[in-house]
Amino acid sequence: MNHLSEEQIVLHYYGDAEEATEVERHLAACAECRAEFARVQSMLRQIEPLEVPEPAAGFEEKTWLNLHDRLPEKGSLLRRLFRPSPPKWAFAGVMALLLAAAFLAGRFWPRPGQQVAQQPPSQVNPQRVVLVAVGDHLERSQMLLVEIMNADTKGPINFSSEQAEARELLDSNHLYRVSSQQAGDPQVARLLDQLGRVLAEIANGPAEVSPEDLEQVRHAIQSEGLLFKVRVVGSEVNSRVRRPEPSGSGVNQRL
Amino acid sequence: MEVTDAAVVAQVLAGDRDAFRVLVDRHSRSIFRVVYRMTGNQQDTEELVQETFLRAYKSLERFELRANFSTWLYRIAVNRTLDFLTARKTHMQTKDTYQIVDNPDAEDSAQIQLPAQGPGPDRLVLSAEMKQKIAGALGLLTPAERVAFTMRHMEGRSIEEISQTLNLKASAAKNSVFRAVQKLRQQLEPYAGPGTSSRGARWSGSAMK
Ligand SMILES: [Zn+2]
Repeated sequence: MNHLSEEQIVLHYYGDAEEATEVERHLAACAECRAEFARVQSMLRQIEPLEVPEPAAGFEEKTWLNLHDRLPEKGSLLRRLFRPSPPKWAFAGVMALLLAAAFLAGRFWPRPGQQVAQQPPSQVNPQRVVLVAVGDHLERSQMLLVEIMNADTKGPINFSSEQAEARELLDSNHLYRVSSQQAGDPQVARLLDQLGRVLAEIANGPAEVSPEDLEQVRHAIQSEGLLFKVRVVGSEVNSRVRRPEPSGSGVNQRL
Repeated sequence: MEVTDAAVVAQVLAGDRDAFRVLVDRHSRSIFRVVYRMTGNQQDTEELVQETFLRAYKSLERFELRANFSTWLYRIAVNRTLDFLTARKTHMQTKDTYQIVDNPDAEDSAQIQLPAQGPGPDRLVLSAEMKQKIAGALGLLTPAERVAFTMRHMEGRSIEEISQTLNLKASAAKNSVFRAVQKLRQQLEPYAGPGTSSRGARWSGSAMK
């Protein structure tokens, strides 16, 4: 009888040998091959406990700091869209958000005169604070939409975490939509209206959705390029928030 | 709600470069472990982790949002490490072989201990000397053997995963694993004296009598 090759024995250790049952039958019958197998096994078992050192504390931070300056900018498409000549609707949308921000700022800071007296004007920019909130709202909405677009469609889908997020977003969405309407921008109001309907659909649906339900929600997201619009406006709002304002009235100046 | 990796990728692609940090925070430690097992050197590993993320960022447009980000990143890391080992091998052929053995820094010797999950019934508590011999033997493998062996033996990845990650046929992946084990036996079996309480030692002992 032919003995097993070294390759068969090694691969058998990992369960990767061809004709595994024949290999096993041979090992049961042949002491010599069994001995060889045992040697391989004992050697390989010794290699098991090799340990990896934990990277030092702050390793993630260090990796990021070293990496950060080497990352080229992404999203040049968006930059081309906004500069030098932004498309009309997007510009109008941003204007409306800024107006909405100013409007909300008025509601959230009922005594602006007192505040200015207490703090240097460069630090008091309620419009900016609300702008951060609007940007955050669109960003979170975008993430939720992307997540839904990428959810696994096999079998029943647990939607409870998406629903909780949609419910929260729906509340603030309402506020921003009302203010953009009052600010007189039908386009951004329409965007938030559209977003609101999709959020409502997600928030009020069953916790476990079928692939068909999911497809319906996706269709609603895809219709009229909702995700793209949310992305574009959200990104522009965020880039304005990040840009340092020369003075506390920077937003107003642009309006 | 925990934001998914895919959502973060979309955010980065929309122009938010800083969002990439979330992915670094989430995955750099596991990539460190993967790469360290293949290089055995902390400094090289840290650099390769950075290179992995840099490459991932640059090719982020090619990431399928439906795919698993950590699997995708893992593949980049393994291939990046394979390239690195290959380049190092050609540039410093002789020195490279013993680099790992020559480098038992303080942190490494502190790591000579049982695995975190505790030893299984078959696990052996190895001496520091034996650990160094194993590290030295691993250093003698070709880059492809080392990578394939690490994936199969230490990470328990299937032959299919290995062949997909390294773009090899299954037979070639199996062959790399086998050749790695063959070389390790040549290096390590002479040390497996009667003192080792393994079945293998007993078998070879009885065969000699
Ligand atoms: Zn036999």
